[in-house]
Amino acid sequence: MRLLNLFGYLDPGSGSIIIQSIIGIFAGIGLFGRKVIASTLGKIRKFLARLK
Amino acid sequence: MFEKNGQLLRQINKAGQADFDYFLSCGLYNKLTELKWLIPHTEVKNYAGLPADPMRYKVIQPQRLPFVSYPYEWTFDQLKDAALLTLKIQALALSRGMILKDASAYNVQFVGHKPVLIDSLSFSIYEIGTPWKAYRQFCEHFVAPLAIAYYGSPQIIRTLSAFLDGLPLEMAVRLLPQRARFKKGLLAHLYMHSSAQRRYNARPTLAKPRKISSWALQGLIGSLEKCLQALRPPDLKTEWGEYYSDTNYTKTSFKAKRQIVKTMLKQISPRPKIVWDLGANDGTFSSLAAELGAYTVAFDIDPMAVASNYRQLKAHSSYGNMLPLVSDLTNPSPALGWAHAERHSLLQRGPADVALALALIHHLAVGNNLPLSKIADFMSKLCQYLIIEFVPKSDSKVRLLLSSREDIFKQYDIAHFEKAFADYFELVKHEKVLGSHRAVYLYKVKS
Repeated sequence: MRLLNLFGYLDPGSGSIIIQSIIGIFAGIGLFGRKVIASTLGKIRKFLARLK
Repeated sequence: MFEKNGQLLRQINKAGQADFDYFLSCGLYNKLTELKWLIPHTEVKNYAGLPADPMRYKVIQPQRLPFVSYPYEWTFDQLKDAALLTLKIQALALSRGMILKDASAYNVQFVGHKPVLIDSLSFSIYEIGTPWKAYRQFCEHFVAPLAIAYYGSPQIIRTLSAFLDGLPLEMAVRLLPQRARFKKGLLAHLYMHSSAQRRYNARPTLAKPRKISSWALQGLIGSLEKCLQALRPPDLKTEWGEYYSDTNYTKTSFKAKRQIVKTMLKQISPRPKIVWDLGANDGTFSSLAAELGAYTVAFDIDPMAVASNYRQLKAHSSYGNMLPLVSDLTNPSPALGWAHAERHSLLQRGPADVALALALIHHLAVGNNLPLSKIADFMSKLCQYLIIEFVPKSDSKVRLLLSSREDIFKQYDIAHFEKAFADYFELVKHEKVLGSHRAVYLYKVKS
């Protein structure tokens, strides 16, 4: 039996945490906005389809 | 991780028990294996023979891959596909209440032309508000090398062998041209990221732990995906990129060579399971081995030729058993990492049942001044059987090589070739290629 050498250590880094929270806020707002717009448009389409 | 009787075993420690149990119970494991995004594993109940360990919770046996490759052997598209797979897995994991705790490119392997995650223990339970600890690792392993390759040359990917933990962001931004700043994704994930690291990493801990909402985390994943989608491989014309459309073969000799190679492959018994095509270019001849059911690794030094092979395989899904890789046979991948034991050399990953070396010998002997005996010695270590083409000096491709150098290769002829290979191999058969001066040999390594 052989023990395989696969050693890893992951340091997230304070800078990475800060920057991802900043990028995430902007990207998250965009994502949330797109979902809200898509859902509103879907509802409008459904409503218009019912009127027809 | 253990290797026992040729089987890979992986120990899960009690510290990882909750994460692993949840990974199975939340359905993420089943979904990932169903999608073929993760290699399946089986639980090993009887692990007698492993050293006693009070920390042990379980032992699993991941499915063994036919061939292990490394990011520094991939093309631009392969590295990008591995990155996109990591992001897709991350998004799926988040939807099931889990998160990838690491995002190393070495956690992805290729089975044929399809990327697959190999690490079942990369997942931890997601606590709302926690940041993605592997964000920097993802940027260093994937975004940075792809961005540099996009603006420069795909050859940069080969340098990842010197940076097993990914390209440091600070170095990456220094290597990128100024105009890279105008790409929104790169500005955020490389430039701003690198600046933030410089500014904050010296501080031991953050005064107040940063929270990141799940919306923001999903946005981050989406942003990374967009950033990668915008990066495309540079369209470079290389020496071997259009080899088969610029060949010196007539249609008759090309067809004859195909037939010879196919017959030789069929003649080998038992039927080869692993075939390495050395100098495969775009995989034209590798496909003969793949058609016969062998798992075929198609190596070539030219990233554009390998990229073309990979794109064709993806587009037509013709062979699920062919893996194109970038490799320079005159400088094959060495053993790397701690104690030279983390990443295996090409030799350690062999021997293959069969190696194809077609239209290659003149590049090694004439192009790189390697003695025929050294070539034969090395090739005898790579495989059990060898199908090799001898290209004589009268061939226009060799004449082209000699046109720019002095002909010091007095021993480069068929007699010396046969003598050199006879020291290491038994000749099974050889055939002349119709309509050319070339000949193909089937050799078996001397036991």
